[in-house]
Amino acid sequence: MNTITAYKCKQCGLVMYPHHFRCLKCHAREFEEITPSEKGKLLTYTIVEQLPWGIDERGRVLGVVEFDNGVKALGVLHVENPKMGMKLKAGWDCVRVIGGEEVYGLTFQAA
Amino acid sequence: MRPVVVAGAGMIPFERRDEDTLVDMMAVASLKAMDDAGLGDRAVDAVYVGNMASGLFNHQVSVASALVDRLSLMPAAADRIENGPASGGSAMKNGFLAVASGYADVVLVVGGEKMREVIGPKATDIVAAMTHPQAEYIYGVTLPALAGLFTRLYMEKYGVTREHLTMVAIKNQENGLLNPYAHIRMKITMEGVLKHPQAHINSPVVADPLHLYDCCPVSDGSAAVLLTTEEIAKDLKKPIVTIDGVGQATDTHTVHERSDPTELKAVIESSKKAFSMANAKPKDVDVAELHDAFTVLEIAESEQAGFFPLGEGAKALERGDTRIGGKLPINPSGGLKARGHPVGATGVAQIVELTWQLRGEAGERQVKKAKTGFSLNFGGFGNNVLAFVMRRKS
Ligand SMILES: [Zn+2]
Repeated sequence: MNTITAYKCKQCGLVMYPHHFRCLKCHAREFEEITPSEKGKLLTYTIVEQLPWGIDERGRVLGVVEFDNGVKALGVLHVENPKMGMKLKAGWDCVRVIGGEEVYGLTFQAA
Repeated sequence: MRPVVVAGAGMIPFERRDEDTLVDMMAVASLKAMDDAGLGDRAVDAVYVGNMASGLFNHQVSVASALVDRLSLMPAAADRIENGPASGGSAMKNGFLAVASGYADVVLVVGGEKMREVIGPKATDIVAAMTHPQAEYIYGVTLPALAGLFTRLYMEKYGVTREHLTMVAIKNQENGLLNPYAHIRMKITMEGVLKHPQAHINSPVVADPLHLYDCCPVSDGSAAVLLTTEEIAKDLKKPIVTIDGVGQATDTHTVHERSDPTELKAVIESSKKAFSMANAKPKDVDVAELHDAFTVLEIAESEQAGFFPLGEGAKALERGDTRIGGKLPINPSGGLKARGHPVGATGVAQIVELTWQLRGEAGERQVKKAKTGFSLNFGGFGNNVLAFVMRRKS
């Protein structure tokens, strides 16, 4: 499955997403590319009623998820009643059309 | 470093200003600051313009060069400073450094933004362009959305309620009624925006748990100050007000990468630096202008800048400590919530308000015997923050 690429510091083990040229913790520059695990838990969420120009939608649920392997990322939640701490399963789908091009990103469903 | 005096302060009312161009607005605010200083025709050595996105909002760039021409300030040095919603604060810092270092004797700092030239969703998109392009922007993240993610965590961790958030909005809109420069001049009540069966219509959800009245308006406006040395200022008529501390600090670009996203490290660090430079403590502050782009931020900043212990900001609000007449009035101007938030103008408007407060020129919203002031200008979602400590000297 397509997904994001996260980065694990080869020196201290810190997991980062998105990319940094130097580790946030130890400033080392070598990273192992890793992918998030299949599932994670919801750290926080918001329901956005006023979306920016180009997203013709209301009530988009955005959440921050911590995957089981420590990767943290934001994504679009396809969940009726989001609850803090709930288990989620990751997907990959079109999240926005920018300049006529479909842009893919992380989506989540209840696990 | 030389002491830096705010010799002149001026601004134009923040509102929707269809008739004025960005440069017109900045020119009028500049003239007010220059006239207020009373330096006559004395040359301005350098101009720093705080502006976030004139290229996107108004299809005009190099606005600092355009401004010196409109004001006939040539051959003054002129730069536009961009630091998102803290562009005004960054312009203030640069102006401060120019005078403090001896590089310039008279400096004009102007903040301005004209956001209402584009429709609302377009303005939302332009502001959202400051988020991380791959990890945030593509998902439709807006600044209110980042604030929504933050607010839910803050409420859960510290027991902040929607009543507390609404208390910030009510207080700041009450203060805004006393400020002729404020964009929003309307009294609101807990009943009307939170409790009434129609409250969800009066104050609809923007980014749950944040509602309309938790968010600052989208405004056009400009504010300006004239900075100079003590030597030049001693002959002027106005009371001497100085900028004694300037702090700036940064944090991760994305909010999700912060180990504790409720901790605003750039607020904590920038405030510490400003207090340390000024040799002051939070308890010395008589009046504060905080960056309440969202109601929760006034509470969080009042704690993390050092005025109240963590989790006590909401209690201070309940007690009325932060009202005009309370122990530490916060946002007597109405803050971003009521004065409005033309992004690049805000950091300068905060210094204008503190200058008026410290001089005793703030009219109906005057904080009595204010001698020390503090301001906080919050860029990004807390990834680049500036703090200032000011004092009245005479
Ligand atoms: Zn490392």
